[in-house]
Amino acid sequence: MTDTQPHATTAPLLDVTNLATWFPTGRGEIKAVDGVSFSLAPGEVLGLVGESGSGKSITGFSIIGLIDEPGRIVEGSVKLEGRELIGLPAHELRAIRGKTISMVFQDPMMTLNPVLSIGTQIRLALEAHESITAAQARERAIKALAQVRISDPERKVDFFPHQFSGGMRQRVAIAIALLHRPKLIICDEPTTALDVSIQAEILAEMKELVAELGTALIWISHDLAIVSSIADRVAVMKTGRIVEIGPALGVLTRPQHDYTRALLDALPSRAKPGQLLLRASGIADAAPPPRKAATANLPPLGSPYLVIDEAVKRFEKPAGIMRRLAIKSGIAQPVTSVQAVDGVSLVLKRGEVLGLVGESGSGKSTLGRMAAGITVPSAGTVRLNGQPVMSAGRSPTKITTRVQTIFQDPFASLNGRMRIGDIVAEGPLAHRLVTRSEARGYVADWLAAVGLDPAFANRFPHQFSGGQRQRIAIARALAMQPDVVVCDEPVASLDVSIQAQIINLLIRLRSELDLSLIFISHDLSVVRHLCDRVAIMYRGRIVEEGEAGALYADPQHDYTKRLLAAVPVLPMAAE
Amino acid sequence: MFGFIVQRLWQAAIVVFAMSALVFTGVYAVGNPIDVLISPDATQDIRAAVIAQYGLDQPLWRQYFAFVGRVFEGDFGRSLVYNMPVSELILSRLPATLELTLAAVIFASLVGIPIGMYAGYKPYSPVSRAIMAISILGFSVPTFWFGLMLIMVFAVQFGIMPAGGRGETVSLFGIEFSFLTIDGLQHLVLPALNLALFKFSLMIRLARAGTRELMLSDTVKFARAAGLSEFTVLSRHVLRLISIPLVTVFGLELGSTLAFAVVTETIFSWPGLGKLIIDSITSLDRPVMVAYLMLVALLFIVINLVVDLTYALLDPRLRKGRA
Repeated sequence: MTDTQPHATTAPLLDVTNLATWFPTGRGEIKAVDGVSFSLAPGEVLGLVGESGSGKSITGFSIIGLIDEPGRIVEGSVKLEGRELIGLPAHELRAIRGKTISMVFQDPMMTLNPVLSIGTQIRLALEAHESITAAQARERAIKALAQVRISDPERKVDFFPHQFSGGMRQRVAIAIALLHRPKLIICDEPTTALDVSIQAEILAEMKELVAELGTALIWISHDLAIVSSIADRVAVMKTGRIVEIGPALGVLTRPQHDYTRALLDALPSRAKPGQLLLRASGIADAAPPPRKAATANLPPLGSPYLVIDEAVKRFEKPAGIMRRLAIKSGIAQPVTSVQAVDGVSLVLKRGEVLGLVGESGSGKSTLGRMAAGITVPSAGTVRLNGQPVMSAGRSPTKITTRVQTIFQDPFASLNGRMRIGDIVAEGPLAHRLVTRSEARGYVADWLAAVGLDPAFANRFPHQFSGGQRQRIAIARALAMQPDVVVCDEPVASLDVSIQAQIINLLIRLRSELDLSLIFISHDLSVVRHLCDRVAIMYRGRIVEEGEAGALYADPQHDYTKRLLAAVPVLPMAAE
Repeated sequence: MFGFIVQRLWQAAIVVFAMSALVFTGVYAVGNPIDVLISPDATQDIRAAVIAQYGLDQPLWRQYFAFVGRVFEGDFGRSLVYNMPVSELILSRLPATLELTLAAVIFASLVGIPIGMYAGYKPYSPVSRAIMAISILGFSVPTFWFGLMLIMVFAVQFGIMPAGGRGETVSLFGIEFSFLTIDGLQHLVLPALNLALFKFSLMIRLARAGTRELMLSDTVKFARAAGLSEFTVLSRHVLRLISIPLVTVFGLELGSTLAFAVVTETIFSWPGLGKLIIDSITSLDRPVMVAYLMLVALLFIVINLVVDLTYALLDPRLRKGRA
């Protein structure tokens, strides 16, 4: 980061001045990008940071000339090595795309074509800019894969995207972006969809490649810590404008603009664990939530409450009649099964917050679903206060209302055709916690408790933002008067400032209602902030479990160590 | 893959068996062919003799099992009207229908899919709007009316196309085909166009919907960001991705057209299966009806099997047993 000075003197690679991209809608123009200016030196890495809707991705697409209709660039200029890109005819722009400027997208699952082999997709990208024989293309493809550290590229070149893991797919996408040795790569949240350890690998490799090839990068991200680990300079965007731009270290340790400061303050990694996070826009904290008279026989705080004993979950494909006959007679192999959770015992004490951390596929969500009585364990028991959570028999059902769940995606977990009031009241009415005449007031109390206007009860989910929807989901779960709430990545799809609001809400509600929480997350800093105890899951087993502070300070298991080492850390101002 | 095919064939056998029982019972309920076969003034003795000759005095289940037994020997019975083996009768008509429907469905796909993709690629252009208007028309215009209009305009007014019949045919592998002669082709054009109209509109709409959705996808954005030309994006990426629903509809349409090209065949006096089945229904020609309907069931099964195998070819995610 000390090499920012020399760049300032060389001619800029990219010069963006007063760029404005608007999207016409029924109710006038949305100014997605509204007067953005910055320049980029050859080989420089610029981090473009902002929350969703800030226009950071649209800025990237405007530079490369891929704005979806009916959006259009209203004014401004984008100069690449002195040549104006805006207004270039389509074929000239196309000749630049992939050759001089290329792009890597967020979700490698969505960007690669699932029905074409990796080799074919690389060949198409090669043919876009040079004439090349099939044999040459294959050779180049193998080299490109080797460059992004894909092992055994001679064989992998014939693979299809689904045969790769998420990290591998993103490597392939990066390989395609690097094919023609571009001078600039625009990376739009390239590691957001990946696990922490994969993200760390990709970051490290990207840094190396960029340094080696002298490629400039625009790294678009919502995650300040990631940006700080790769960028020379950082630009912070808000509602279509750059509010602050400067050397990474300076912006992140001594922010000048209020918004940058607010973004940084909202990060759990910068606050003391358990404390409320600072928020920029103050949504008034709500009235204390109404608590129905709890059942009398609750154990005291701190005693074992939800006990998971040797829980196992196997997923297998159901075998047809012929297949079962064939397996019985030894002709066919038994159906392969996936052991998602492999004999896990876990105790949640009353009133504590237990963090369940692991990468995708570690079985943490499956374990959470078993704890919440949604998924039936293949073996083992889940008991709440000594009582089983699910009924016995062939097709067990959940028999308690005292465990509730908050899901990751508030867009998918709320029924879009029901009014908010009905969504929240549905469960309590079905279980006779309230009468129909009380329901209105009950819902209003809960909406207020999660910081929403009670008048929202008549609206539909699509009228709300992601953070508001997650509040509704929390109100719905808590309206069932649970003692235990399983939170399955409740903040993973939210912006930092919204995430801070939800975390604060959970901290507050937990202490006011004596809730016990199982908090499932892949985000170690959020878990550290919120949880008393942490269990690390890896391949269906819990590899390490302990007090949050102790576990973070002195991890014992190799996997935990690797996980903690992979977390990108923000630079702190020396005080 | 092998296990999959075996499983499907096993299912097919069950379906054909069930179909035969259903069809046999259904046709039994429709009416007594004897009333059509013998003149009303025949004596009671002759009636009884004819009934016994065709086995119609037996209870239904016995007639059915006798029929199934004969089918296993490859004998579908004799047509009551044409007095020839049913299998021979159907086989003599099948090529004509096959030729007509394949021409129609292939034309509909080869023209409809590119046009539909264009309409999806530029959804707001006037050309695309015109294409969509035509496709709506294609859905709503009745087949018989469009057929009559074709005959009126091209055969009657301009006299450039024949109004009906199959024209000159050439024998290939012992089967008569008309698409190999100029005259035969001329006879094929109008009925094929008529039959294609609906499928054509369907393909346009499907291709357009798929293309429109995909043009906004990250896959297309990524391909464009790599500098691929619009034509390559459409022909290599989009076409492959929309092909699965297209193949599904192609298969279904091919089956239903083969089975029910009745209207077009009647209007253009095309000597295919559709005309045969209509004739045999009006004359209560039981063996032909039963054999024909079983053939239709079999056709659908085979087409669906081929469609499923094509899925695996088109989408690597559906291929099993690969690392």
